[in-house]
Amino acid sequence: MRQEVVLAMLAKEPAHGYQLRARLRAALGPLGAALNAGHVYVTLTRLERAGLVACQRAAGVADRPERKVYELTPAGQQRVAQWLTEVGWPKPDLAFHLKLIAAAAAGLADPLTIVDTQRRELLRRLREAQRAAMAEPDGSDAALLLEGIVLRLQADLRWLEACEQNWTGPGSRW
Amino acid sequence: MGQTRLIARLALRDLHRRPVEAMLLLLAIMAATTTLTLGLFLREAGSDPFQSTREATAGPDVIASTGPNDGTPADLASLEALTDAPGVIDHSGPYPMIGAELEASGGTAGVWAQGRDPLAASIDQPKLTQGSWVRDGGVVVEAGLADALGVGEEDQITVNGRSFHVVGVAVTAAATPYPDVCYATCWFGAWEPDQDQPLPPSDESESQPVGAPDDIVTFGPPVGDTGLVWLTEADVSDLAPAADALSYIVNLRLTDPAEAPTFVGTHGSIRGPALATWQDILDMHTNVVQDQQLALLSGSWLVGSLAVASIAVLAGGRMADQTRRVGLLKAVGGTPRLVAAVLLAEYVVVALLATAAGLAAGWLAAPLLTDGGASLVGSAGAPSLTMSRVGVVTAVALGVAVVATFVPAIRAARTSTVHALADSARPPRRGAWLIAISAQLPVPLLLAIRMAGRRPRRVVLGVVSIAITVSGIVAVLAARAQLAASVGTDELHAANRVLLVITVMLVALAAVNAIFITWATALDARHSLALARALGATPREVSAGLSAAQVLPAFTGAVLGIPGGIGLYMAVVPDEAPIPQLWWLLAVVAGTVLVVAVLTAIPARLGARRPVAEILQSELV
Amino acid sequence: MVNNMADPAVLRAAGLRKEYGRGEGLVRAVDGVDLEVDPGETVAVMGPSGCGKSTLLHLLGGLDRPSAGQLWLAGRRIDQIGEKALAQIRRHAVGFVFQAFHLMEELTAAENVELPALLAGRSPRAARRRAVELLDQVGLADRAQFLPPALSGGQRQRVAIARALSNQPTVVLADEPTGNLDSAATLDVLRLLETLHQTGQTLVIVTHDARIAATADRLITMRDGGFTDQTRLTGGTTGHLSALAGLDD
Repeated sequence: MRQEVVLAMLAKEPAHGYQLRARLRAALGPLGAALNAGHVYVTLTRLERAGLVACQRAAGVADRPERKVYELTPAGQQRVAQWLTEVGWPKPDLAFHLKLIAAAAAGLADPLTIVDTQRRELLRRLREAQRAAMAEPDGSDAALLLEGIVLRLQADLRWLEACEQNWTGPGSRW
Repeated sequence: MGQTRLIARLALRDLHRRPVEAMLLLLAIMAATTTLTLGLFLREAGSDPFQSTREATAGPDVIASTGPNDGTPADLASLEALTDAPGVIDHSGPYPMIGAELEASGGTAGVWAQGRDPLAASIDQPKLTQGSWVRDGGVVVEAGLADALGVGEEDQITVNGRSFHVVGVAVTAAATPYPDVCYATCWFGAWEPDQDQPLPPSDESESQPVGAPDDIVTFGPPVGDTGLVWLTEADVSDLAPAADALSYIVNLRLTDPAEAPTFVGTHGSIRGPALATWQDILDMHTNVVQDQQLALLSGSWLVGSLAVASIAVLAGGRMADQTRRVGLLKAVGGTPRLVAAVLLAEYVVVALLATAAGLAAGWLAAPLLTDGGASLVGSAGAPSLTMSRVGVVTAVALGVAVVATFVPAIRAARTSTVHALADSARPPRRGAWLIAISAQLPVPLLLAIRMAGRRPRRVVLGVVSIAITVSGIVAVLAARAQLAASVGTDELHAANRVLLVITVMLVALAAVNAIFITWATALDARHSLALARALGATPREVSAGLSAAQVLPAFTGAVLGIPGGIGLYMAVVPDEAPIPQLWWLLAVVAGTVLVVAVLTAIPARLGARRPVAEILQSELV
Repeated sequence: MVNNMADPAVLRAAGLRKEYGRGEGLVRAVDGVDLEVDPGETVAVMGPSGCGKSTLLHLLGGLDRPSAGQLWLAGRRIDQIGEKALAQIRRHAVGFVFQAFHLMEELTAAENVELPALLAGRSPRAARRRAVELLDQVGLADRAQFLPPALSGGQRQRVAIARALSNQPTVVLADEPTGNLDSAATLDVLRLLETLHQTGQTLVIVTHDARIAATADRLITMRDGGFTDQTRLTGGTTGHLSALAGLDD
């Protein structure tokens, strides 16, 4: 889990550990259901060590991570502000592309079979993401996230069509 | 100038692209122009043959006749006095005449028997079409009478009981045609008795024979159908019971034939000889033709209206296809005026061609209709194409074309360019109550009514065109019924020919119309019907619906056509009150519906069996 | 649910072939297709343009005749019967949804939906009642009196789907139902197809759109007139979802 994500969840106000997890789950919808508590707390600890988050102990409570109240330090706030202005883009799937080339070059597998398998998998995921998207209330944050996933899966599927054409047609060099 | 050439080029290009439609358009207008041409030509038919006969027989300018009256013998002196009247340059006669009854194997007729010199007369020497001139015991029969009774050379006939040998058949320009031959004391012609003067006994009354025995045959004017025969003067004297019973006739030639009516006006009197001019005789000969002409002119109105309806259907149908073309023209800068001009130009071209074709067809066909009948020599000869005639026919053809295309052209020119390009300029009409009603009906009627509701204008055109056709047919039937009852066979044949021409034109145009409308409807409804089939309508229901969509308007039109036809006939011939028999009328209505059903069933069935997918796919484009 | 012990499949094709042209110009739009569709199943057919999937659908729906092969619909053999019998089968066994909607422009939504019922001979009142019911099901109850030009693309397609359901067909065949629709309209239609699937309606959908295909139980890939792949898409749990989000790393 990216550190900036946790920082962002604390931007509005300090929160208990469990409140933090709740915020994340609400923002992520069904994808947040299986959120690993352990990951969150490990990230919080790292952030604490880096001085971006400060931890207050609630008075009179045992030393349990859920009960701790976390808040952003000034450095942390600065980091969040900076992160908000960053522009990025997820990396393309170089691995899959190389998979096809390797398979063809080494004669280990038919690239088209690989494409078909990938397509089937993507379609299954599309189906689930779609179902999940329709289950969420219109306009909710979770619905938006799921729509993004659906669109990206569609884009990937379209790229698979292009791959298929490339590895079928006379352009195929292997 | 450049614009005109552009317009001409675009118009011709489009005609070239759709030759079948252009041809049909041509035929429709041609029907109208041909009928009109025939009507115009007929005007002078009848006068030509008469002129030829007059020349061939040295026909008289004035014919004077006198007969016994109220016991007094004929006033021969007054007749002879006329021969010296100023203006008279020559005469023949006086010839004795007697009214008689002729019996032949083919029938009987009343006749005037005229006594003649075996030598040729200088005026009115009848021209023989068969045999030879009079001799004792021999009779020459006038051609019209001979035709009616089926009498020819070598036949035996009896006149007033006496047997004679037919030695010849001849034509003359000095007598009105059978069955209207009329000499004193029968009056006819330009001279009319004054209101105050007492009239001589009417020609319907039996005139008293002078000292005749009781087994009477009238010796005055025959009653009813009257003809003319020539005998020797001796034979006529023999036929008369006494010299006092004879009538006399003299033929006069004037210095100026055109002055004949004036001559008759000056010399005619109630107590004097009966006078008739050659113009009167011409009129009687052309009467027949006038009726024909009237029929043809009325017929050409009908055919013209029908042509307008056909073209309107065609033009309306084509406009739908033209819309995109119009849009393109406008999109590249054509003004609405240019667009309308291109559309009208196409029809003008076709109309001009149709004029030429119609004039030619009428010119060729006219002799068939205008042959003067048996009473005159020769036929009318080739009718002349005067400038005025050409002008009238051209104007009518152009008028028809413009009227029919006016509305679509204006609409096309006014359509917004975007709509025209997207071809959404003619969305189907929605008739909410029609749709609601059709839901209650069985499937074919449901489809038929909804199809009709989409294009109400086309339905109206269909009704109108059938109504016009049936009106024409009913008027023709009424005319035939009237004629059969009242005129001689000669006129009847000629009139029937004309009526046949009109009927054929009307029926042909109506059939073309029906096919057009069905075709246009089928095209327009192709998509909807394919969809109906995709949703579960059977092919039979679909083709029945398509047929019903034509048959129902046809039935309405046929029913409307009956009062229309009767009204039309009464408008043209005001005195007559015709009633074609009821079963004829029913036959016309039933026949129309049947013919329309058959004509439309074929394209309907053809379209109903194609696989639905093909039709729907093509609509997607 | 159709329960025919003799033939459980709602739709069955064996060796289906459709050819156009002759000799040099011979085109095999559908080349030897075997297919079985079970009741309540949603089958999606995907493939590149020109692979023959629309032609296949027309054959399955009796809108076109196969050049060879056998076809059973709702237990009856339909590849050889006459147009009239086909029409009658279409009334009750098939509901068709087209890419171009093919609604009658001069009829309101309700009149469009009731048309198949009227053509099947039902009383106008019953047909209208059913139409209103169906429009309600597709969420267009308030648009029943609107004419198609006044409806959006998505709404028109939903009317078309309601129309396809008018006679309670055994199978609904949809040919690129979202082909002419934008993304939002596609979502509407998607939801509707999903709902239909849940009510147990058998659906065969030809589509380009992966989202539509993803609603299917079974996905068939078609290429050059023949099937190249068949996959069951059911299965898998939401456990996949978090893997999607990469929350585990």
